[in-house]
Amino acid sequence: MEHSTTMPQADIPAAKKHKRPLTAARIVLSVCKWLGLTVLCVLFLFPIWWMVISSFKPQTVIYEQLDSFMTFLPSTWNIGEWFDSYINLFNSFEYFGTAIGNSVLYCAVTVAGVLLVNSLAGYALARLEFPGSRFISTLIILLIIVPVETSIVPQYVILSQLGLLASPASRVVGYLLPSIVSAFYIFMFRQYFMGMPRELEEAAEIDGAGKLKTFFVIMMPLAKAIFATVAIFTFMGAWNEYVFADLMFPQARQKPLQAFLQLVNTYNPKDLSMVMAALTVSTIPIAIVYIFCQRYIVEGVSFSGLK
Amino acid sequence: MERMLKTDEIELAAPMAQAEEPVPAESISPGGKPPKRKSRYFRFLGRTYKKDNTVVGLLFTLPAIVLGCIFVIAPMVVSLSYSFTDAYLLRLDEIHFTGIEQFKKVFSDGFLWNAFGNTMVFVVITVPVQLCVALGLALILNSKIKANTFFRWAFFVPVMLSLAVTSFLWGNLFEQDGLINALLVKLGIGEQPFLDDPGQAMGIIIFISIWQGAGYQMLIFLSGLKNIQPEIYEAASLDGANATQRFFYITIPNILPTFSFVLITMLIGAFRLITQPMIMTQGGPEDGTMTMSYYIYQQGITFRDVGYSSAIAMVYTVFMSVIALTLRKVMDVKN
Repeated sequence: MEHSTTMPQADIPAAKKHKRPLTAARIVLSVCKWLGLTVLCVLFLFPIWWMVISSFKPQTVIYEQLDSFMTFLPSTWNIGEWFDSYINLFNSFEYFGTAIGNSVLYCAVTVAGVLLVNSLAGYALARLEFPGSRFISTLIILLIIVPVETSIVPQYVILSQLGLLASPASRVVGYLLPSIVSAFYIFMFRQYFMGMPRELEEAAEIDGAGKLKTFFVIMMPLAKAIFATVAIFTFMGAWNEYVFADLMFPQARQKPLQAFLQLVNTYNPKDLSMVMAALTVSTIPIAIVYIFCQRYIVEGVSFSGLK
Repeated sequence: MERMLKTDEIELAAPMAQAEEPVPAESISPGGKPPKRKSRYFRFLGRTYKKDNTVVGLLFTLPAIVLGCIFVIAPMVVSLSYSFTDAYLLRLDEIHFTGIEQFKKVFSDGFLWNAFGNTMVFVVITVPVQLCVALGLALILNSKIKANTFFRWAFFVPVMLSLAVTSFLWGNLFEQDGLINALLVKLGIGEQPFLDDPGQAMGIIIFISIWQGAGYQMLIFLSGLKNIQPEIYEAASLDGANATQRFFYITIPNILPTFSFVLITMLIGAFRLITQPMIMTQGGPEDGTMTMSYYIYQQGITFRDVGYSSAIAMVYTVFMSVIALTLRKVMDVKN
């Protein structure tokens, strides 16, 4: 207890110079910290590293090298040979390329639909008061708070009653429609638009712009950040969807990439190298989004964290 | 005349933000009578609304309302009403009311209680461990050192894998002749049955879920920590608070809102575990990895017993809501 009066005086100048005395305990602690971080880092990264490296070598070599450190290194430095499994993948699975196309198509439609439907609703709830708008806002918050268990079965029932399970084409519609409206995204848009100054719209209105034009020409460009954030999160959600896609598309040629992985993984005889290649291919777009849109992701994360 | 007066009153009563419309040119023209025009406002259930706002507002929300009614509200109604029937997926036009039979079945179904137990094991281990890992990493990596940026990225990389990719990848790593067993043999521990063993399979699903998700929560915690103003720490050190005190009296209270948000989101996500067991074990071996969400899915889709599946979903929704809302309440009181 006596130290508490003397400690601060000794501590402050030292802290300013960022040089606290290097005691043995501090050194040990620091070494432990970096060692622990490194071990954890290896644990987090080695499976992904192994996934990519294994996709670069034939299956027989993977199994030969499994019990040596070589399993984490490419088997050849002839880069041309690295992509044999990828070429095999496209050759052995007629619809692998189609699956990539399907994923891109489904994601594009979902992102466009989510942005349009939820931003319009969010804007209306933020700015255009109408009978029922308060009720809808309350309902949305309720829907976010109350965790409703898996709507997948009743959703499937509804899709079947709407006749959307009848043909392959209608199944695509049935797969895409349910993921478009989202209480959480409407809420995000509403909060964002509520935080924007009203003067902009009033100025536009005085200039004679209609509400629709005001929204698309004035508000949308100003709310770029929230549109980007929602687009990125929607894209990642749509790209990574597995359970619903697996249920909706029994036919190989309609499956998006994530659901197609099941076919590659359970194919007999199994080719581990090809499986790893397929896993790598299906991860690349998400990795690209994370690398290039980091800023929006961090913003979106902190926005949802603030709620 | 009577009507005109009334509408004028309403115009005045309208909220300021909406009321400052430009005065129409005709009404100020000298000598002209006040033009006969329709009011731009109307009253509905004691509130005043602008007409054009109502039209456009309804138009803007229409797509969301329609889709929301079909794919959000209707499933809930369907689920609730089917839970009192014997609805069968392929004979939905032939449904009989069965009262609370399905609910009685819910509470006496041993397989269901097994699935519930498995889910609880998953939740009770995954949520605290993942929270600790994520918060611990965030606290260690919070300062702006070059090495920290690297480590932040490293821990975030698994988040880039989808749940499906994570499950397929680790499923292969944990194969009998897979990489992990090769490593264990090398280390002298010997081969493990892993996914073929009911006990180990759930452990593996817990492990890979934490592995995949911790980086994301770390990012949320990091952004929460960044929002704490450094001045508070400086003031505290001037007042003589040591590192431990600063941690407990500044960091913890300031991170609490983020913490409660992460906890509740994670909890609900954990309650809904389905993808990993679906891909890696199909609920086996010996139903050791069957979870609630997967059981509901299986009853409704695979066995087509929509009535029973709906009843379980209802009971489970009530269970989750009670926990989520209680937690929310407790956390709010703390703040």
